[in-house]
Amino acid sequence: MDYIFIDKTIKTSIYKQIASCISQAIESGRLTYNDRLPTEKEICDVFDVSQTAVKMAYQQLINQEQIKRVKGRGTFVTNRHVYHQEFSNLYAFEKNPNLYQVTDLLFDCVDDAYIIQRMLKLERHESFYVIQRVVKQNNLPVVYQSIYLPEHMYPQFKKKYQKGIGVLTLISDVYQKEIVQIQNTYSPIKASSSEAQLLNILPNEAIYLIRSLFIGANQNIIGYVVNYFPGEFTEFEVTVHARP
Amino acid sequence: MLDHKILELISIDRREKRPYDIQIKDRIKALILDQTFYYQDLLPEAKDLALLLLIDKEWVNSAYRLLMKESFIKKTERGFEVTYLELTNYFFDRNTAIYDAIKALGLMPSIECIDQKVITLSEHEAQALGFKESRKFLHINRLYKGNNRPLIILENYLPMDIFTDIDQVFVGTEPLNAFILEHYGLYAKDSHRVTKAVNLPSHIAKYLNEQEGAPSISSTNHVYDQHQRLIDYGLSHSTSSYYFQSMIKL
Repeated sequence: MDYIFIDKTIKTSIYKQIASCISQAIESGRLTYNDRLPTEKEICDVFDVSQTAVKMAYQQLINQEQIKRVKGRGTFVTNRHVYHQEFSNLYAFEKNPNLYQVTDLLFDCVDDAYIIQRMLKLERHESFYVIQRVVKQNNLPVVYQSIYLPEHMYPQFKKKYQKGIGVLTLISDVYQKEIVQIQNTYSPIKASSSEAQLLNILPNEAIYLIRSLFIGANQNIIGYVVNYFPGEFTEFEVTVHARP
Repeated sequence: MLDHKILELISIDRREKRPYDIQIKDRIKALILDQTFYYQDLLPEAKDLALLLLIDKEWVNSAYRLLMKESFIKKTERGFEVTYLELTNYFFDRNTAIYDAIKALGLMPSIECIDQKVITLSEHEAQALGFKESRKFLHINRLYKGNNRPLIILENYLPMDIFTDIDQVFVGTEPLNAFILEHYGLYAKDSHRVTKAVNLPSHIAKYLNEQEGAPSISSTNHVYDQHQRLIDYGLSHSTSSYYFQSMIKL
């Protein structure tokens, strides 16, 4: 807690001094997302100040959404980049490889997952490729993604697939398939412990589950992608117009 | 109707390695996702399905527990009920009032007014909502229901310099857009919406019949009239079983 400095000889109230030190530490990057702050008692002990002052300082920072309290765990820094996009630009992270880094976690070919087969309109025991990945910005996860592609539509896949390639590029450039539209379904769910781990959030925090069906020419389904975005750090916007 | 579907659609594969409860859960989930089973449909009694599949009832119970955990179904006084609901496509493609969107889902819409009062926001508070200066608002907090089930809770801030004496005429249970068109000749032309996934705070969760911390889609709306004036700031929270779609055309 050496980023806190209190001068008791000046008029500025103790709580304001504590709050502004922590604010500055966050701004300067000394404290980063998910860092744990000292407990109220720890600050009281070191600086010999009242618990009320520390409470007020923390409350101010909580109101400003710079930190947050998690029951039974402590107080944490919350500031983190928010992925803010138009609904129509959901896959913006694929278009800017300098800003977003892709890490592949899993590559597989599977024939026994009923839900995915149903979404891809495959027969039972027809195979599909699975790619799981995390997309990060400044080392913090933006989205955790599972990509499913029917095997029979993507010949020589192992040869043509490059680690980290965007799914839009893969379908439309590498395989020259026309994507006519992407149907997205948005739902809120609680992060499981593994999703929380991959998204660098806490279990049970709200996440966006966005399922995308890629529709090709002839209205056939050429891919299915399941995206998990951390709820607190993702915003989608749209301006809609009423029909007169 | 549903029993008939189930006969054909829920089956298990005894050669498969995965346990029966996972198989049943996956089958039902897929049927819900592709809307073969729809919102408020009832799943069969566990013992009936077990009898049909010639397996122990506990497998079916376990499958239902897994589906409840994933918020696809709920146990109610009627039985195991599908809670999964998708809003029709145009909710985020067109400026549709929530009331009409609920109707479009084939549900009977209704509005319950939780609170309405006149408040004055300071310059700072008003700016946080997108208004330029301090002013008086009618603040309303209302619950939108479909077939009497809470679906969305929506707070609105209506500036009273635009809606003169609105507190005298607005009852609280009428659809807002129709009301302001009828009484003020203004229509909600453009709506700018920003959505997030959040955990419900307890004071909102209780109105939606949800647990504190349940996942929810929250949306802020800035509504502009035909003169491009900001006429309404809204903040909504959905139940956790509420979904919506948005299409990207390429």
